[in-house]
Amino acid sequence: MELRIRKSEKTGETLYCGKHSSGLRIFIVPKPEYSGSYAIFGTDYGSVESDFIVPGETEVTHVPDGIAHYLEHKMFDQPDGSNVFDKFSKYGGSANAFTSFNITAYLFSATANFEENLATLLDYVQSPYYTDETVQKEQGIIGQEIRMYDDTPGWQLFFNFINCLYNSHPVKKEIAGTVESIAKITPEYLYKCYTTFYNLSNMALVIVGNVDVDSAVKVIEDGIKNNEPFTEPIGRVHPDEAAEIAERYHERKMAVSAPMFMLGWKDNDVPKSGSELLKKNLEITILLRMLFGRGSDIYQKLYNEGLINNTFDTDYTMQKDYAFTTIDGESPDPERVYDTILDEVDKVAKNGLSETDFELAKKVMWGKYIRSHNDIETYASTMLQLQFMDIDYFNFYDVYKTVTFDDVKARFKEHFRRDRSALSVIKPM
Amino acid sequence: MKVVRINDNVSLRYIEMDKLKTTSVSVFIHRPLTDADASYNALLPMVLKSGTELCPDRAAIAKYLDNLYGASMGVATMKCGEDQVMYFDAETISDKYAPEGEPLVADLLRLLMSVLFAPKAAGGAFDEKTTEIEKKNAINKILAFINDKRQYASTRCQQETARGTAFAINRLGDEKRINEITAARLYEYYRSIITSSVIDIYICGSTDIDQAAAAVREYTDKLEFTAAQLPKTDILSRPDGDIHQVKEEMDVAQGKLAMGFITNTRPTDPDYDALVVFNSVFGAGAHSKLFNNVREKLSLAYYAASQLERFKGMIVVNAGIEFENFQKAYDETLVQLEEIRKGNISEHEFTSSKIAIINNYKSFYDDQRAMASTNMMNRVAGNERTVEEMTAAIEKVTVEDVVAVSKKLQLDTSYFLKGKEAE
Repeated sequence: MELRIRKSEKTGETLYCGKHSSGLRIFIVPKPEYSGSYAIFGTDYGSVESDFIVPGETEVTHVPDGIAHYLEHKMFDQPDGSNVFDKFSKYGGSANAFTSFNITAYLFSATANFEENLATLLDYVQSPYYTDETVQKEQGIIGQEIRMYDDTPGWQLFFNFINCLYNSHPVKKEIAGTVESIAKITPEYLYKCYTTFYNLSNMALVIVGNVDVDSAVKVIEDGIKNNEPFTEPIGRVHPDEAAEIAERYHERKMAVSAPMFMLGWKDNDVPKSGSELLKKNLEITILLRMLFGRGSDIYQKLYNEGLINNTFDTDYTMQKDYAFTTIDGESPDPERVYDTILDEVDKVAKNGLSETDFELAKKVMWGKYIRSHNDIETYASTMLQLQFMDIDYFNFYDVYKTVTFDDVKARFKEHFRRDRSALSVIKPM
Repeated sequence: MKVVRINDNVSLRYIEMDKLKTTSVSVFIHRPLTDADASYNALLPMVLKSGTELCPDRAAIAKYLDNLYGASMGVATMKCGEDQVMYFDAETISDKYAPEGEPLVADLLRLLMSVLFAPKAAGGAFDEKTTEIEKKNAINKILAFINDKRQYASTRCQQETARGTAFAINRLGDEKRINEITAARLYEYYRSIITSSVIDIYICGSTDIDQAAAAVREYTDKLEFTAAQLPKTDILSRPDGDIHQVKEEMDVAQGKLAMGFITNTRPTDPDYDALVVFNSVFGAGAHSKLFNNVREKLSLAYYAASQLERFKGMIVVNAGIEFENFQKAYDETLVQLEEIRKGNISEHEFTSSKIAIINNYKSFYDDQRAMASTNMMNRVAGNERTVEEMTAAIEKVTVEDVVAVSKKLQLDTSYFLKGKEAE
């Protein structure tokens, strides 16, 4: 397997990348001066895929909600009855896994025995083993995980917000499913999902840190099990999502100290290519900074009126087929925060954006990009997530430099529309 | 690490780490944790970072930071045992990555020194409006304690285990006392402590340390300091009597069990490192007894873990469970402790624990904030050691050491957060 070497002058980073004959995409960023190393092995598969068409089949397969997450838990059981954590522990690897809307990933960090840990990672993620008994055992554990989220106000706030924005897109559903939906999960369903989404042509491996590229490649080549790459894409069946939002407002009471809010805008623009996606991401992130950053007029107004505090934050969530901005925080009066923000955005629409603010926000984006290479864990998982969207993170600068004030002005008009906005609130009991 | 003594109280430590693309500056101001002052120490950093002679208000500070390519600055008040620490944290991309060759680190340090030593004040008081806003924010923080139920239960159990000692005082202060603080009183307090507290400044990344020291002196040379000591904490000892039982109710879907154990071990004791390994075997990670029994074997919880509070000498176990499983999880925790006491520690559990701890220690080398705070906390604990020394000490621990230290543990407090309907 030949890897291509790419060097970035601006960041001083070197990337080795390539594709194995199994279809697995590989990315290695050696950082010899680091003490730690990190590997993340992920599949382009998350909680949104409850209906899909296996390549070669014509019928839609329907599986219970929460199965991607359940499958992630069950990957840790091994055919010989051993537990994967034990193997990592032996080599000093600190292992973990996560499931999001669009990704399931298995990872470890280590400061020694990188090759042994990597071999363990490759081996267990390619060794599905599900029985009625082991599947049953997990009901209690995941049941408690779901309960924990039930009591996590920030999580509830977020899901209620997404449910305001979306009418039928499966991003509406809880990642872990519900106690009822996971009760329906069987070994057969798990195997079906596994053979579909864990085909190596649907997966990628990213390694960052103190690693020797040649020995890592050898471990990878030895560790990849037989796999016929799919020649056609997996059919991902998502219902058509209307452009309109589902609900303007959602309120819930929980045991919290102060009202919490999350507001934001639904983004219906679906660019075709990875670089267009990255560009859109930059435009929106720059706008969030210009409009609502700590130095902005809107932030200062809300802060000085006591309507928001330090918990105020903005974010942009973006995938290929859905995206939205969020603004969240605590406030004695969430409705007033929402109204003020929409009114202020209207004023900006009338009076125009400031080019000085644009330059400053763009500067901040550059600092963020440089900083993102520091932490090997964030670096690697960002690379993994972006490459499933066909975004080339190493090429950031080439896209970054093309973002103009005019682009941002156009994006502002397109995104911050009153009728695409919603507000979710958690109020104290 | 290079140490520059600026004066009796203020020191500057430089940890060179240019493999990272950033440079961080951390400042720690140490104060004894007391009822009278805790609220002042909680509020003060929030007011200080709202306006300085260099940048008069929050918007100006935000723009200043944005101009340094989005540098960050944050404040917090934490506690290391009964040392209440005001923490200022700032970070910028290193000068070598500044597109126009700007002196980013020097500019960031100047802002931080201005926050510490030249805050915006007039007529013997901080800005009235700023103080009032930040008082509200400080109170919100106190009240927000209930929002994270896992953290809440674990902290409440710590407080109950340390009942009657200064450790039980909330590091965030209390609502009534914060309400009583005025802009003038807070300024007076600031003036009294800024020259009479140990202040640690850490720069981690890449900078010219002599220039940095000169930049600090520019501010400190104008002030008169009176020598101060780091506040010390003594460990708990278990009072006679039954297990202290605490039950609380809240509108929650999941119950939170917490158990407070007294370790009878100081961070300076020769068996302290054995205690660290014990804690890992007991409940710190996927190799631990609590994870494998409370979670994996009995399926009672998604998380079941133990956490060491070294300064005060306690270990708190916590787990999220169904309300009716309280006794089961409680009993199983004690069974697992008993297993360790009997010496039933597998080779796997033992080596995995040591490796996990060492792995964690070594990861500090890639983390600027961890390097700074590890050094600071070791000094507060009276046990300044390098990461190499910490690692070597863990390597020396034997199974017998772990068994011996486990026998010193005493269960003190049983805490349960349950739902309102449940009974």
